[in-house]
Order: sequence, then C-alpha cells, then structure tokens
Amino acid sequence: MSAAIDRLITAKAGGPLAPVADDAAFLRRIHLDLVGNIPTSVQTRTFLRDKSAGKRSRVIDQLLASKNFAEHWTDRLSVMLLERQQLSQVPDDEWRAYLKKSLQDQPRWNVLIGEMIAATGKGESRAAMRFLGKGNHHRLTEDISRLFLGRDLECARCHDHPSVDDWTQAHYWGLYAYLNQTRLATHSGEKRSYFVENLATKKVEFQSVFFDDQEDTGPRLPGGKEIPIPTFDEHQGFEKPAADGLPAVPKFRPRERLARDLASGRNNLFVRNSINRFWKLMMGRGFWMPLDQAHSENPPSHPELLDLLERQFVAHQFDIKWLLRQIAFSASYQRSSRLPPGETEVEPESYRVAHLKGLTPEQLLHSILRATGNEEVRAQESTGEEKFDHRGYFTGTNTGLPTAYADIRTIFVETFGQPSGVPEDDFAPGLNKALFLMNDRLVLHWLQPRKHNLASRLAQMKSPDAIAKELYCAVLSRLPEEDEQQELSTYLEAHPDRRRAGLSDLIWALLTSTEFRLNH
Amino acid sequence: MPHPGSTSCQSPFHALSRRRVLGLLGGSIGFGSLVQPAIAREIAKKNKQVCLIWLDGGISQFESWHPLPGSQFAGPFRSIPTSIPGIHFSELLPHTARIAHKISIIRSMCTKDPNHSTGVPRIQRGDPIDRGVDYPYLGSAVAKLLGPADPELPPYVWIKPGNGGFIAREAGFLGAEYGALALGDGKAPIHIHRPESISAQQDEARQILRERANQRFKSYRGSSEIDAYETSYRMARQLMARKDIFDDTRIDPGDRERYGSHPLGRHILRARHLLESGVRFVKVNSYHWDTHSDNFNMSQRLIPQIDQPFAALIDDLDERGMLDDVLVVLMSEFGRTPIINSRLGRDHWPDCWSLALAGCGIRRGAIVGNSDRDGVFVDGTGYDIGDLFHTIFSVLGIDPRRKKYGHKGQKLAIAHDECGPIREVMT
Repeated sequence: MSAAIDRLITAKAGGPLAPVADDAAFLRRIHLDLVGNIPTSVQTRTFLRDKSAGKRSRVIDQLLASKNFAEHWTDRLSVMLLERQQLSQVPDDEWRAYLKKSLQDQPRWNVLIGEMIAATGKGESRAAMRFLGKGNHHRLTEDISRLFLGRDLECARCHDHPSVDDWTQAHYWGLYAYLNQTRLATHSGEKRSYFVENLATKKVEFQSVFFDDQEDTGPRLPGGKEIPIPTFDEHQGFEKPAADGLPAVPKFRPRERLARDLASGRNNLFVRNSINRFWKLMMGRGFWMPLDQAHSENPPSHPELLDLLERQFVAHQFDIKWLLRQIAFSASYQRSSRLPPGETEVEPESYRVAHLKGLTPEQLLHSILRATGNEEVRAQESTGEEKFDHRGYFTGTNTGLPTAYADIRTIFVETFGQPSGVPEDDFAPGLNKALFLMNDRLVLHWLQPRKHNLASRLAQMKSPDAIAKELYCAVLSRLPEEDEQQELSTYLEAHPDRRRAGLSDLIWALLTSTEFRLNH
Repeated sequence: MPHPGSTSCQSPFHALSRRRVLGLLGGSIGFGSLVQPAIAREIAKKNKQVCLIWLDGGISQFESWHPLPGSQFAGPFRSIPTSIPGIHFSELLPHTARIAHKISIIRSMCTKDPNHSTGVPRIQRGDPIDRGVDYPYLGSAVAKLLGPADPELPPYVWIKPGNGGFIAREAGFLGAEYGALALGDGKAPIHIHRPESISAQQDEARQILRERANQRFKSYRGSSEIDAYETSYRMARQLMARKDIFDDTRIDPGDRERYGSHPLGRHILRARHLLESGVRFVKVNSYHWDTHSDNFNMSQRLIPQIDQPFAALIDDLDERGMLDDVLVVLMSEFGRTPIINSRLGRDHWPDCWSLALAGCGIRRGAIVGNSDRDGVFVDGTGYDIGDLFHTIFSVLGIDPRRKKYGHKGQKLAIAHDECGPIREVMT
C-alpha cells in the first residue's frame, strides 16, 4: 500500500520532489505524529548512530505498539470529535479512558464511531455517550454530518445549500430523522441519565424558507435509501416495558440504525471522510480541503489514491493503526520539508514537500516538558484541595504557579488551542501565544536548573561542543550544525559572568524558534 | 497623533524594529512602483482612526436617537431638544443631546437579519455578496486595509467585558494576524509583563538568538508560516515596549467621573487613551441590550451608561483636535420593534433603525433619513449595512469601488458590490 501511495502521489507531482527527510527530521516527525511528543535526546542520538537497515520501519512499529500511541491519539480524537466542548454526561477521565482502551491493539474506527452514535449509557461503553452531549438533535445532525460525512450541512437546515448543488435540505432532515427520537432520561433508582429513544410514528416534515411546498422524510443517509418507519398495532411497538423512570424500549430505534448504516463500509461518504481526516493528521493536508467540504465541486486531489485507500481501509476492517502505518511507511510521508533545490514555492496539493504542521497545545506542552527535562510534571496530580484559578492566572490576580498536570494542560489549551466548539486549525501564530512563551512564569521556571533537568545537565558540562550537542539533541532533536556550535561558544564566552542564565537563554531561544513550534 | 514613548525611545531595538516594519509595509504596497500620488494617499490615511462602540443585542431607537412621542408605539419617555434646532432625542440622552451638533444620526437603517446568531457577524462584516469565504469584521478589515497607525501597536484592539486574549476569529480569511488584541475588562493580559527574573538586556540577547535560529530554519523553506511566527514575536515585543498605554494608574480621576465608573464608561475612556496612543481601530463592546422584556426599565438603566461616556468621548476628541481624523461609530446589529410585546419588551427590528456617527469626514449635525409616522418602516431611501461600510471606508480614504482584497489569487470586493456611500452623512 505504501508503494501505491508513492506511485500515485509521484504521478501527479508535476515537478521535482523534495528528497527524503534526514534521520533526525524523520524521527522527530514520527514521534510527534504517533505519540505526540518529540524524541528524547537519548533516543535521537541512538537512532542517529544506528546504521542498520530497516531502522525507520522498526521505530514506526514500536511507536504504534507503545502505550503512548493510545495516549496521544486519545488527545487527537477527543479534540476531533468534541472540539474541546465540555459535554458532560461523562467525566473527562472516563471518556479518555474509554478512548484509550479503544485505541489499544487493533482500534477499529467504524466500531468506535458506531458505539458513540448508538450509545445509551448502559454497560461498559457508557463513556461513549459523551459524544451525544445533551442529545440536541440539530447539533448532532450537523456534527455527525460534518465530522463523519465531510459535509457542513448547517445551511441545509432551512433550504438546499446555496452554493453546493450536492447538498440538499432533504439530506439534513434525513439525518435528523435518525436522531429526533433520542432524549435523555433519568433512572429513578440509579439517579443517572441514559439516552433513550421514543417510538417513531411518522416522518419528519420540513419546508424550505424559499418555497411553500411541505416535504417529509424518514431516516435516510445522503445517497442512501429512506428507511420506512414501521407501524405497529397498539402497544406492539415496544421490546421492553417502561421501568425505573426509563420509558419503554421501542422495537424500531433509528439512532441505533444510524450507527450501523453510517459507520459502515457500504457508506462510502463515511469511509472517504475518515481517510481524509487521518491523512490530514499525518500529511498536514487532506485530499480535499476544507475537511467539511466534500462535494463534487471540491474534488479530491488524488482520486485514484483515495479510491484505493477506501477499498483497503474497509478490507482491513477500519484498522486505524493499519492506515497510519501505510502512510508512515510511504516515501511521501517521509519526505523532507525543505524545498527541492531551485524551487521557491510548491503547490500544497502536490505533496512534493512535506507540509509544516503546527504542534497541538498538547504536543507543544509535552515537547516542552521533554525538551527541558521536566517530564515528571506529567505525573503530578491535583491535590484536590483548592481549585486552581485559571482565569486569574492570565489576568494576574492569581500569582501562584500551578503544579497539577491537569491545570498546566488547561493553561496550554487555553493559550494555544481553539475556543470550545471550533475545529482544531492549522498553525496559527498569535501575539498572545508569543507573549506567553516569552513571559510565562511557569515556562521560565522550567528553564531554571533543577534536579536533572536540561538546564542543570548543561550547567555541569564543560566543553561548549558537548553543551551544543546535548542542547540541540534535547530541544530540536538533531545535532547542531557547525555555525550553530560556533554561535553557542561565542555566546557563552561573551557572558562568562552569567553562564547559568546564558544557558537558559539558549534553551529558550530554541524552544521559541519556529523549528521547535512546527512538526516539520 | 502624539506617541509618547515611541519618539523618545532611541534604543537600537526600536530603530531596528521600525526599519523592519517599514520593510514589511514596503513589500505589500510595492516600493518599486511607488509614485508620488500613492505617497500622498498613504500620508492622508496615516492619521485616520476608528472607534466602534457596539451595543450588543440592539439599542432601542425609540428610546434613543429616534423618539416618536405621541405615535402609536411610543414608550413612556419624553423627547428633549438637542443642540441641533428642531431635532429631538429621547430624554435618556441629555449629554449627547448637548453635543448633537458634533455628530450625525442615520434614522433610516434598513438591514435584513432579525436573528442574533447570524446578525452580529453579518453586520460586523458589512454583509458583502457571498463568495464562499469568511469576510473579516470591520476592525480586522481596517487593520488590513490601513495597517497599524503606529507600527509598534496592534492595529485592532477590542475592549470587552469578561476574558481577554488574542481573538483571531474576527479576521476571517485575512488570517490570524489581523485578529483583535482583546482587553478583558479593559486590562492588558498578564503576559505583557516581563518577569523580573529576565533583565531587558537578557531579553534582548535571547531574542537575537531566537531570530537567528528562525533565519536558519527559513533559509531552506521560505514558508509564510515562519514569517507569521516571527511577526507574532515582533508584535509581542512592540506591545511590551508600550505597555504603559494600558496602565490604569495613569487615568485622570476627573475623566473617570466624566465618563462614568460603570464598565462602559471605563471602557470608552480606555478607548480614548488607546486612540491617543495611536491604535488604529478600537472596538468597545457592551452586552445585554437585548430588551425582549422590560424594555423601558432596562433602557432607563442602560442608555445613560452610553450617553455620558459617548458625549465625553466626542467632546474630548473635538477638544484635542482629533475629531477630524477619528471616526466614531455607535451602533447595534439592529433596532427594536415598534410593537411592544406582552412582556413590555421590544423585539428585533432590522427594517427601520438608527445609529450615530461622528468625526473623520462625517458631517456635523446631520440627521439623515426618517421613518413613517409610527417608526415602523423607512420613509424614503433605507440604508443597508453595505451602504454604511461604503461610507466608513470612504471617509477613511479607502475607495471601496477600487480597493480589493486579494485572497487565493482572487480579487474580492471589500464591501457589498451593489451598495454605495451615504453621501448625506459625509462632508
């Protein structure tokens, strides 16, 4: 499959390709993409020394099998699916534990999405119900369409889409008809909520704001057949009677049906959208962009490749790791982000050069902690005594330093992430983000020598060459160039009186460089 | 425009940064082809600034700019004479009535969208013809079209209740760098302050190291992401050098009294300071004007909170000789219904509403347009939001018929193609 990816990308390249990325760039990229963190200085040095064949493939497989894979992809999928909204039928840790478990071994994307759409809150996968939020029918219609079919149907609630002929109002209401029986109900004994479905008795009616005709539809996927709503004799429509404050369970449950029909190999909109989203996360750009504009006037850049991936992803039972592995093994993924000689600009859809991807707030935090040698922060738990005042941390009324990892993470997400309800975007530099990395007390605190952190390790080294090597391997995951070594020696010689501070300056300068801020 | 601090500071960093910024601006207007008229136009635009005061939810025109006492839908308030002979405002606007001859009122706004969700973005984007892109809000548009008035300050500052930060989403397709620096409750974010542990000298040294690292990374890539990242640091440093402009201790207690100690008063006073310091575009937001119920009590409470600081702002700008260069816009996303609902509220009414303009090429004392007898519909020509945007751009020295945005190789109109400036309100 990786060979086919390369063949089909090369066939449409339309110009010289960038050479393969060097070992250091590859190692950093694959670590960030698969486990959400830069490699350690030791990992980098070991990999650079390793002269054996097949070392890249071995690293890919090790990372895919590591527990950090599940940890990182929990972040990625959670942000993709919830867009940082606090939809709280389920506590955050339960939701994360659920995703993490699903991502171990052979994670199957259709199963995961099916569980979320069909979730009732019963049994082991109670946490899956978090995706449904409060069960708002319109939000769910729009989110499911956008996230799983690649169609931003918001406009189509009131009329056919004004500029996209493929998208009609009937598509919107067909999806809606799968969801409009769903609601939350509280179990009288357990005092907790479950998603239940009412008995559907008729189609959904809708009307365009532009025309007078009344239309109706039963549950129907775009491009699929409408599902007839069954009729039952009185009292015959239920499988189980009402009990414990929960209503009777109808025999016909359209949301459960949606989970089966949507997250299925027979639904090519779902399969292609899934591939496009995973491809984007790895390659920095989807076959079509924006991700939620899948329609005939915005065709994919590589239709043949997409078709092939579609067939193979289904044949491999939606195995996420299989898909990521095929991409990671390809030369197209492993290309350098440096422009081919003589080129100044490259068409982004050609993939001739690796795309620069911004680090997510989580990747940035984890990488800063690893680079500066403060990884123990990730294990710091909340003492549970007093809640850390995040807003005050930014406005200056809270002058304390957060210690719990959860609070630190929140501060990074608030600074570097998108607001709640907005999809994660590409690299977006900002004044406030620059101010944060320049002046944040916590970040500067990590640059002070303590225990075995980087500043302390560097302070114990004598030779500028050794310092340069360790600094560059730890922060930028590569060895320094000659001019960089020279610059460092000169800098330290120029500031003999404040060597310790000088070392912190050097760490800071690399941490705030574009090279660190991007997955390149 | 007085820029204390920027002219007195002779540090090499400032000189360097100014040169670099000029270089950037040169890139965008093309130094190679720079001819005299272009320079003249640039100079004319140089001092133009904007203050947009946004009353979110919709101020009632009946209880403010367009009282119709004795009409079918009039509320309980009297109307009072203003400094323009024959023109009356609601009695809730005594301060503004006194300076009415310095401002203009448009009483014939006729826009389309009665919903908030799409109303606010639609209006603040000027509702251009849909070209499938996210247009910028006015502040981001002006930041793009005129650039910063002072290269060391962000062109677009937004003063709002609640949280601050850097808010990129208003920039639309222009991209994050044209977003707003938002001051939560008028205060600068804490990260504008360099911790004491880092001396100015050390900061300078570490920045040079960072810049060199960026240059090396860029030399093989030439990517706009890298420039944008560098720009964000440059903006951050420039802002830090001027953080005194956010300093509350520098506010004159007499001013505070004149503007009022409520948030809107404090925020409009802060806006005046930022305009004096050279920020190109300042937006001040006030929320909770959506008087679906209890419109009259709420108006009685809310409208004095805009009356006092708005009049003070106009007076101050006028006294300082700034009013000819600073455009002040006071508006909401729509007006309120003539019909008073069962909860003694007025609902959303885009069909006929009013707004206030002042300064910078806006006539003094012009009252434009009228409604029918009961204030239901516009009598004569109604103006859409596109017309207002044409007017705003025109008085700022930007020709909305000729100036276009460039986006992905496309030329996009900056305002609705089928609208035009409201000449009656312009000098």
